[in-house]
Amino acid sequence: MKSWKSLQTLLASFVMVTVVTACGGNAGSTPAASNTAEGSANSGSASGDVKITLLNSKGEIQTQLEDAAKAFKEDYPNITLEIIPVPAGQSPFEKASALYAANSPSTITMLDTGDVEKFKDRILDLSGEKWMSDKVDGSTDLTTFDGKNYAFPLSIEGYGFIYNKAVLDKAVGGSFDPATITTTQALEDLFKKTEASGTGALIVSPMDWSLGAHYLPLAYAGQSADKAVVNQFIADLKAGSVDLSSNTVFNGLMDTFDIMKEHNIDKASPLAGTYERGPEVLGKGEVGIWFQGNWAWPQISSFDTASGAYGFLPVPISNNPDDFGNTQISAAVSKRLVLDKEKSTPEQQSAAKAFLEWMVYQEKGQDFLINKANIVPAFNNITLEPKDPLAKSIQAYIAGGKIQESMSALPADHWSKLGASMQKYLAGAADRATLAKEIQDYWPTVK
Amino acid sequence: MISEKGLWSRLWLRLLFTGPTLFAFATVMIVPFLYGIYLTFTNWDGISTTSTMVGFENYAHVWKDAVFWKSFYLTLKYVVISVALVNVVAFLLAYFLSSGLRGQSFFRAGFFIPNLVGGIVLGFVWQFIFSNVLVSIGQKSGIALFGTSWLAEPDKAFFALIIVTVWQYAGYMMVIYVAGLMNVPKDIMEAASIDGATAFRKLRTMILPLMVPSFIVCVFLSLQRTFMVYDLNLTLTKGGPFKSTEMVSMHVYEKAFLSRDYGVGQAEALVLFLLVAGITLLQVYFSKKLEVEA
Repeated sequence: MKSWKSLQTLLASFVMVTVVTACGGNAGSTPAASNTAEGSANSGSASGDVKITLLNSKGEIQTQLEDAAKAFKEDYPNITLEIIPVPAGQSPFEKASALYAANSPSTITMLDTGDVEKFKDRILDLSGEKWMSDKVDGSTDLTTFDGKNYAFPLSIEGYGFIYNKAVLDKAVGGSFDPATITTTQALEDLFKKTEASGTGALIVSPMDWSLGAHYLPLAYAGQSADKAVVNQFIADLKAGSVDLSSNTVFNGLMDTFDIMKEHNIDKASPLAGTYERGPEVLGKGEVGIWFQGNWAWPQISSFDTASGAYGFLPVPISNNPDDFGNTQISAAVSKRLVLDKEKSTPEQQSAAKAFLEWMVYQEKGQDFLINKANIVPAFNNITLEPKDPLAKSIQAYIAGGKIQESMSALPADHWSKLGASMQKYLAGAADRATLAKEIQDYWPTVK
Repeated sequence: MISEKGLWSRLWLRLLFTGPTLFAFATVMIVPFLYGIYLTFTNWDGISTTSTMVGFENYAHVWKDAVFWKSFYLTLKYVVISVALVNVVAFLLAYFLSSGLRGQSFFRAGFFIPNLVGGIVLGFVWQFIFSNVLVSIGQKSGIALFGTSWLAEPDKAFFALIIVTVWQYAGYMMVIYVAGLMNVPKDIMEAASIDGATAFRKLRTMILPLMVPSFIVCVFLSLQRTFMVYDLNLTLTKGGPFKSTEMVSMHVYEKAFLSRDYGVGQAEALVLFLLVAGITLLQVYFSKKLEVEA
């Protein structure tokens, strides 16, 4: 009986203790309280072994990153790098903020450009790093706040019309020269020639992110080669003082879109297509052109029938070949790496910095970036040539100065909301006036 | 035995048995719920280290958010149609599979199985059926109805959601109705047979009134499940085409995590909770009055 009593007391006090500690833990997770950088030394033992984590939001390079972690360990035997994937369908912002809310952020987090600013109170200032002197011009502009750069530019990505050279060679009856497509008219002629040669002209993939985050922003970025004018245009959109229906660039871009709609092989049911269908029909040579970016190369290559002859065409916005945008493709740094400063120990932070430097300056790191992960790097010191034709095409455009900077810092729900408006237009459920109005109505609601 | 002990030892004993459950319930339900209510009064964006109190501003936003009320109306439409269909189909299945059909246990199991498949997997499977299988059947056989993907047109996508919902839940509700049918007293049915009542007469004046408790449970369950639909919505249509099938849960989620407007999203979630709680309580309250004693 006595022992039963003491067992009761023990259990009850256990319950009490867990309740009390749980409450304490919860209080610590409120946004205000976690401001204090506690930096608990939860890893990193006396022997100098450091364990760091990287939250990977670029699902297609998960295995390559895991291999890179092994290669990195060969050079730095005391650092263990673990790669955490962001589950398919979840946004990197959502996963990263969930990890922060749980007080267990990854040491290195891979974010989209527009998200970096939100994290700036919780991440390290990287302005003093060695690679800052070798980065491509302008690659850290969007992650620099109050003169401090907070993020490592991981990859440059570009998009435009991807063409299958074998199909277009047949269409033009000779060797297709991408430099001939600089006007809307030339593009339409090319579509007609392709159709006349017995193949589909192009496929328009109806994903909201493709239409909302890639196609439509060409209307913003194409306003001028001068970044300040583009920024002013966005500011005017937010203020509600832009009349899109009379905007030349917007109308020119939508004229091109009308032609794309007209020659789309999925014209009968334009919203039924999926992302997976795009690389298949392009790779197999059922169409000549697909509007997409260089990230699609692994999928295209698995269907390739043109022995790797692919490249980018700009999206023309007028019939004057000299207009800005008619010879440029859209490209920008898309993924950024940021380092946590709240929960990581100084050892972990320096280990993470070592990893960033390893990618830029070490042979194995460069090999991972360019040869394994097919990344177009944002650093001038890297001289390795990419193997994939789309990355090569982007580098050729960069080398020729034919780049228009992608709008990589748009509001977080831009792709979803205006992507839906573009889908409506694509399906013929809305006309251009409605589309223009929906875009104009969206911007003033952005905080 | 328990009453012989003092107040404290009784409390200890209670805590021993209910403590773990109470603890779990408090930490995963009560605390987050209260913390969530607190967040509705802030302008927190989900990550920043600071946030300010904004009073009832978020609730004013909910009131003005036309898209929220549009998706709420759409959800209401979806709930009414699918609750009606789920329960009618489930009752008919239960009625026919309790009438002594050959192999009825096998059929019961068959209709119940969709409920064992998670909403996510189920959505993906049906997405494939709607956009590939049916389309290829339609194109080969020339049936115009299936010529193009149902998921690419707003109205058809809406009905695709309803069809899958009915398919998913009817089997589960059927099991509850089967149990209800078993509980209809045999002696009353026998007496009715002796009096010469037809099968339809028996169904209308004996079985249906006696099964009101089963209906209350099933309507409650299907109401609550369809109101909160998210997984199926996400995997089958992703709210598309062009947001025309975006149900209210999905809108709330996107408000909080996509638009980075956590405060407003949380306020919308609370408004939704109150509306759904209100509707289901009213349903239970009024249908309780229909109950009869055998």
